Amino acid sequence: MSTRIENLRSLIRINRDVPTIPFIAAGAVLLVLGLIGVARVIFEGHEAVYGATRQVPWGLLIATYAYFVITSTGLAFIGGLGHAFGFHQYARLSKRIVLMAFIVLLAGFTQIGMELGHPFRLMYLFLISPNFSAPIVWMGIFYGIELLILGLELLVVFNPNGTNHKLAAVLGFLALLVGVMATSNLGFVFGSLTARPFFHGIYFPTFLVVSGIAGGASLLLVIYNIVYKFNVPDQFKDAMSSLGKLMGLCIGIMIFLSFWKIISSLYTEPKEAYDSVIVLLSGPLYANFWIGEVLMALVLPLALLIASKAKEIRIMGLAGLTFLIGMFFTRYDFIVAGQMPPMRAGNEGSGVEAINGLMHYVPSSGEWMIFALGLGLFLFLYFLSERFLILDADAH
Amino acid sequence: MKNKRYAIVLDTKKCLNCKACTVACKFENFVPVGDDTYRIWVTELPLQGKFPHLHQEYQTSQCQHCENAPCEKVCPTKATFTTPEGVVLVDYKKCILCKACMTACPYDARFVSEHHESVEKCTFCMHRVSEGREPACVETCPVRVREFGDLNDPNSKVSRLLSSRPYLQLKPEKNTRPRLFYVL
Repeated sequence: MSTRIENLRSLIRINRDVPTIPFIAAGAVLLVLGLIGVARVIFEGHEAVYGATRQVPWGLLIATYAYFVITSTGLAFIGGLGHAFGFHQYARLSKRIVLMAFIVLLAGFTQIGMELGHPFRLMYLFLISPNFSAPIVWMGIFYGIELLILGLELLVVFNPNGTNHKLAAVLGFLALLVGVMATSNLGFVFGSLTARPFFHGIYFPTFLVVSGIAGGASLLLVIYNIVYKFNVPDQFKDAMSSLGKLMGLCIGIMIFLSFWKIISSLYTEPKEAYDSVIVLLSGPLYANFWIGEVLMALVLPLALLIASKAKEIRIMGLAGLTFLIGMFFTRYDFIVAGQMPPMRAGNEGSGVEAINGLMHYVPSSGEWMIFALGLGLFLFLYFLSERFLILDADAH
Repeated sequence: MKNKRYAIVLDTKKCLNCKACTVACKFENFVPVGDDTYRIWVTELPLQGKFPHLHQEYQTSQCQHCENAPCEKVCPTKATFTTPEGVVLVDYKKCILCKACMTACPYDARFVSEHHESVEKCTFCMHRVSEGREPACVETCPVRVREFGDLNDPNSKVSRLLSSRPYLQLKPEKNTRPRLFYVL
C-alpha cells in the first residue's frame, strides 16, 4: 500500500515555475459562466436559450463541438505518429499530448451534451436502437472508442513503474486510426446531406482531418510556449520544429482544399452552394471569412511559420495561437453558411423569414456561455494538471 | 393482400388561401402556437401577368412522406421510421433532438416541438386514418385541394387523378420520391 502511494507520489510535483494560476483562474471563471448557461438551459429550455431555428437547426454548439473534438483527434494523430510511426521527437511530448487530447475531447463532449435535447436518452438508445445507416451513430461509436483509448493511454503514460512502450505504440496507433475515422465521420454527418449542397461531398471529412492535425500541432506549440514562458528548452526543439513543419503542410493542404471548394461552388453558379459561398465571400459572414478564416487560419500562421523557418519557437507559438482562433471560424462559417440558403422560398405564408433570400443566425448569449463551459473545462483541468503532475516524458 | 400505400394528391389551382387546412392541422394535432411550429403551410407564389390581368396561385405543402426519406436515414436512434403504408412518422420517445433530420429534410417540413420534447411533423393524421377518417387538412378544405388515398387501389381518387392528369413532385432532383403529387 505504502509502495503504491509512493509510486503515485512519483507522478506528482507542485510546479511553481509553470505559469498555471492565471489559466486555472480564467478556466474557473469560464466554468462558472458555463454552469450558469447550463442552469439556464435546464430551467428555461433549449429553445428559449439557444439561437438555432427551424431553418438553421445547427448553430454555434455544433461548431464548437467540432472545434474541440477534432483538435483532440489531431493531437491523438500526432501522438500516434510519435508512438507508432517512428517520429521519436514527439515521444518527448507524449504525456502532454495524451492528457491534452483527453481533456479537449471531454470539452467537446460538453458541447454536444448541451446541444442535444436528450443526451441521456442518447446513451441507452445508441445501445438498444442504433440506426447504422446514420453517420451520427458511427461518429458516436468512434468518438466513444477514442475516449476509451485515450483513457487507456493516460494509464500507460502515467504508469509510475514506467511506460510500456510496446503497449503505448499499439494504443497510439489505434488512437490515430480511430481518431481519423471519428473525424471523417463527423465530416460525413455534413457530407451526407444532399438537401444542403454546400455540405454535400467529401470536402468537409477531408478538411476536418487535415485542419484537426494542424489544430493539434498549434495547441502543442502554444502550450509549450506558455509552460516554458516562451523559452522552450533545447530538448524539445526538434519536436517543435517538426510540429511547425507539420502545421505548415496541413495549412497548405487546407488552402488547396478551400480554394477548390470555393471555385467549384462558384463555377456555373450551382444554386444553393453558390449562395452559401457568396455568404462567405461578400455576404453576412464576409468578415468571419476574410479575417477569421483567410487571415487568421491560413495566411498569417503560414507567413509566421515561414518567417520562423521552423526554428523560432516563439514565432511558431504565435502562428499556433492565430491558427487556433482562425480554426474556430473555419468550423463556424462552414456550418452556418451551409444552412443559409432556405429549403423553401421565403414567400408570404411559407413560414420562412428570409432576408435577401437567405436565412439568418446569430449565436445567443446562452450558446456563448456553453462554449465558455468547454473552454473553461479545458483551461481549468489542463493547467491544474500542469500545476500538479510531472508531464515531461522520457524519449523512447 | 397488398399493403396500402398512402399518398396525397393536390390540385393547388383550387386553393383559395383560406388557410383552413393550417388551422385544422394545428387544432387536430395540438401543434403549439409559434412562428416556427407548423406542420403544413400555404405559400403565396409570385404574382403572374400584368395589371389588371393579374393571377396568383398558392402552393400548399407539408412533409412529403418520401419513399427514400433522408430524415429516416440520418436519424441515429430510429426515432424516424416508415410504416408499412409508407407514412414517415416520429417516435417522440426515441428522439434525442439532434436535429439531423431537420438539416436533412429538403422540404423544411420538421420543427422542434416543446410539447412533445421531440422533432415533430405531419403524420398524415394516422390517428384519424386508422378510424377510417381523412386527414384533417383534407377533410376541412372547402374546395378539396387535397385528396388522400391508397395508391395501391386503382379505384381510389388519388390513383384516378394520377392516371388522368399530369403531375409533378417537389425537388425531384433530390431523388426522395415523395408521396405528395401536384396535378397540373
